[in-house]
Amino acid sequence: MDTTSKQSVFSRYRKIIFAVILFMVADSVVIGINFYNTYKADESAVSINLSGRQRMLSQRMTKVLLLTQRSLEANDEAGVVRNLEELDLTVRLFDTTLKGFREGDTVTGGDGNPTFLVQVDTDESRQIVKDAYAIWTPYLELLRPLLGNNRNFSPHALEAAVGYAQANNLKVLKLMNDLTTDLEVVANRRASTLRIVLVIGIVVAFVNFSYTVVISIRDLMAGDRKLSEARQETREILSTVHEGLFLLNKSKKLGTQFSESLPILLLRDIEPGMDFMPILEEMVSKDMYESAVDYIELLLGERVKESLVTSLNPLIDVPVSMIDKFGNTQNRFLSFFFNRVVVDGTVSHVLVTVQDTTEKVLLAQQVEEAKNKAKVEVEALLRLASSDFGSLRQFIDNTGQSLSQINEKLSQSSESSRDRLHTLNYIMRLVHGIKGEAAVLGIDAIEGYSHACEQEMIGMRENCSQDGLSGEQVLRIAVLLEGFYERYSTLANIVSRLGEALGTSAPNVPDEVRARHTGQAHPFVTHITNLAQRIASDHGKKVEVSCEVEKLFSLPQRIVQELQSVSIQLVRNALSHGIETPDERISRKKPATGALCLWCKYLGNGQYDFTVRDDGRGILPERLRAHLVKSGRLSMTEASAMSDEEIARLIFQPGVSSAAAADRDAGHGIGLDAVMEKVKGINGHMQVRSRPDTFTEFHIQFSTTG
Amino acid sequence: MSNLNESDIQSFIDAVSSFFFQVTQEKVGIRAAYLVEGGIPATTFDLTSYITLSGAFTGRVYFSAPRVMVAHLLLTMQEPDRGDERLLDAVGEIANTISGNARKHFGETMQISVPVTQATEHDWLNSVVSPRSYVILVKWKQYRASVVVDIQHTD
Repeated sequence: MDTTSKQSVFSRYRKIIFAVILFMVADSVVIGINFYNTYKADESAVSINLSGRQRMLSQRMTKVLLLTQRSLEANDEAGVVRNLEELDLTVRLFDTTLKGFREGDTVTGGDGNPTFLVQVDTDESRQIVKDAYAIWTPYLELLRPLLGNNRNFSPHALEAAVGYAQANNLKVLKLMNDLTTDLEVVANRRASTLRIVLVIGIVVAFVNFSYTVVISIRDLMAGDRKLSEARQETREILSTVHEGLFLLNKSKKLGTQFSESLPILLLRDIEPGMDFMPILEEMVSKDMYESAVDYIELLLGERVKESLVTSLNPLIDVPVSMIDKFGNTQNRFLSFFFNRVVVDGTVSHVLVTVQDTTEKVLLAQQVEEAKNKAKVEVEALLRLASSDFGSLRQFIDNTGQSLSQINEKLSQSSESSRDRLHTLNYIMRLVHGIKGEAAVLGIDAIEGYSHACEQEMIGMRENCSQDGLSGEQVLRIAVLLEGFYERYSTLANIVSRLGEALGTSAPNVPDEVRARHTGQAHPFVTHITNLAQRIASDHGKKVEVSCEVEKLFSLPQRIVQELQSVSIQLVRNALSHGIETPDERISRKKPATGALCLWCKYLGNGQYDFTVRDDGRGILPERLRAHLVKSGRLSMTEASAMSDEEIARLIFQPGVSSAAAADRDAGHGIGLDAVMEKVKGINGHMQVRSRPDTFTEFHIQFSTTG
Repeated sequence: MSNLNESDIQSFIDAVSSFFFQVTQEKVGIRAAYLVEGGIPATTFDLTSYITLSGAFTGRVYFSAPRVMVAHLLLTMQEPDRGDERLLDAVGEIANTISGNARKHFGETMQISVPVTQATEHDWLNSVVSPRSYVILVKWKQYRASVVVDIQHTD
């Protein structure tokens, strides 16, 4: 607890603390006074007792003197001796006690034990004692010859003492009576004082207790009222706020309080103490979930500053899929914001704020759509300006055909999960092809959209259940297709309209024919070279492209198109994870610039060989084997049992990639799957040759004779 | 066709799904989803109902189902009358549910017509919907029905 909170506690309980201190002080005073008075009462009791004894002793002295005289007259020697002993004792007791009253001294008490007799302290008592001494002093002098058991006293001395005793006995008795009375008065006065003090003490204690109770009840009521108001305010906040608010403890369980919007946002019943992570796991993709787990762990730990990790939050505008009470899947975008709650310098909880950002994300998407549309138009204009009209028209034809194929596949409904997965792979291959061709022509808007679609479909493939794609995912693909058509139709319209406008100045001569006549490189060679240089630049690599593909362009158009598409993919692969960075190449004693070769050879008898070769790192079976095990495609035992060749052959399977990481150009396990499909489409077959750290060659052999 | 996202389209499917779930306790699943494009037609069944929307979005949402499916639905609802009028009423009710959901999804500013129902010939939908309309084939029991979303954003 820090100083501020200590002050706050003191301030809150100040009145009660004051009342308790007052109570303790008052009680201490009353107890002290009581103790003192009790002590004084003891003294008074001794004094009263001993003053009473003085009365008795004065009478006994007179009586013993008379008995002594009588024993002497009767010659009763034993009686004389006995009476002298008693006289001696009586006189000593009377004298020391009287002295004690006057000066305060230890005397023999009523029980025979020594006790302290306090000096009388009132004027009356002092006067009585003084008067008593005035009589006692000559009396003691007359008695002195008889003391000490002195049997040889003179009868004359006895007679004098008896005479004095008879003359003063009543006076002494009266004085001792007065002393007793005065001491009783003093004792009574003390008792009264004690009673008054006790009454005052009780009254003070009662008042103080009442005050404490009233203050406590008032403070408790005020506290309850404040607490109730605070609770009401919290309730109002939690019932009004649109965001989902809740606390997450170190065990990642929800706290007891959460906003009413939370169950609505998460489309599920929420109970205090629920585990948050399974809820999140149901909503988001596996990768997203794993990132979120790491992020929340970071926040709950103490080591990293919150401000440093905020930007790492993976749960911003995250697409989530939830099932509503009717069993329908609801897709939304949610943002989860996390803030540490620090108590006494340690993280006690994480405050989680959930927002439905669907509208914002969709609006952003619409804005992006509009931008892309404009971008498509501008890119088409630029392409037209570069007189690459034939390639563009070819791209439009091919893309239109691919989109139709996708739509047709989507319309062929199937219940089988295998068929649905097959459909997804088929669509991904077509999208990949569009992406490659768009990349060659530099139509970024289409390439970017293709890449985004591809990423989303990869996510679908990785996260689809055993039942294959859900109906909602199929619907999502249809929406993605619509997005494609949107961009495609914009491009197609502008190309068509400008083509018509430029019709006279841009004769409908195929680009390759024009190239042949002008001695320029074939547009495909230019495109593939540009693509290779762009990818190399993006990856910080250097490449020299050589093409000997003239024979390719004398082949039937269908084959040319398929092989062009294959080339694009193989070139992307070669640059993405074949050819190394200059530093890596130098360290392997290779030239800093990689070599990429494409050639097309006639083998005779209508047979051709089309080859794409790079001098990069080759296919690394060990890396591929580890990747296949890590991705769960093969068990450790299966992977170990397979030869390097068998492992290498798996690169043509959908979803398998040898790349260490995926990016826009490769690594998603779609390309070689699509390549294989196209090679099959021209009745060709493919061979792969590779040597680690040396080269990779893809040979496609096909026939034009059927 | 533009600017519709799957949440918009899903709201129509959810309406159909909710209707069937409330009446039969059985879910309706999406069997296929595609676009009216490249010669691929919108699938028309025997009975069709539709609503017309105007406001931020303009167009129509159609629900088309085979007669036998609607008859089976009425049977499940223990409806003794399964005549043509009643069958059309049933598809009209589904369109009505779509209308309610659309109002909820798009907001009260959207104007939505009363449902129109009619017996339809093969290919009727294809002749009335715009290119790139969404066709969603849904499945209830062994039957298929189509929800066709032909809506454009009003610029």
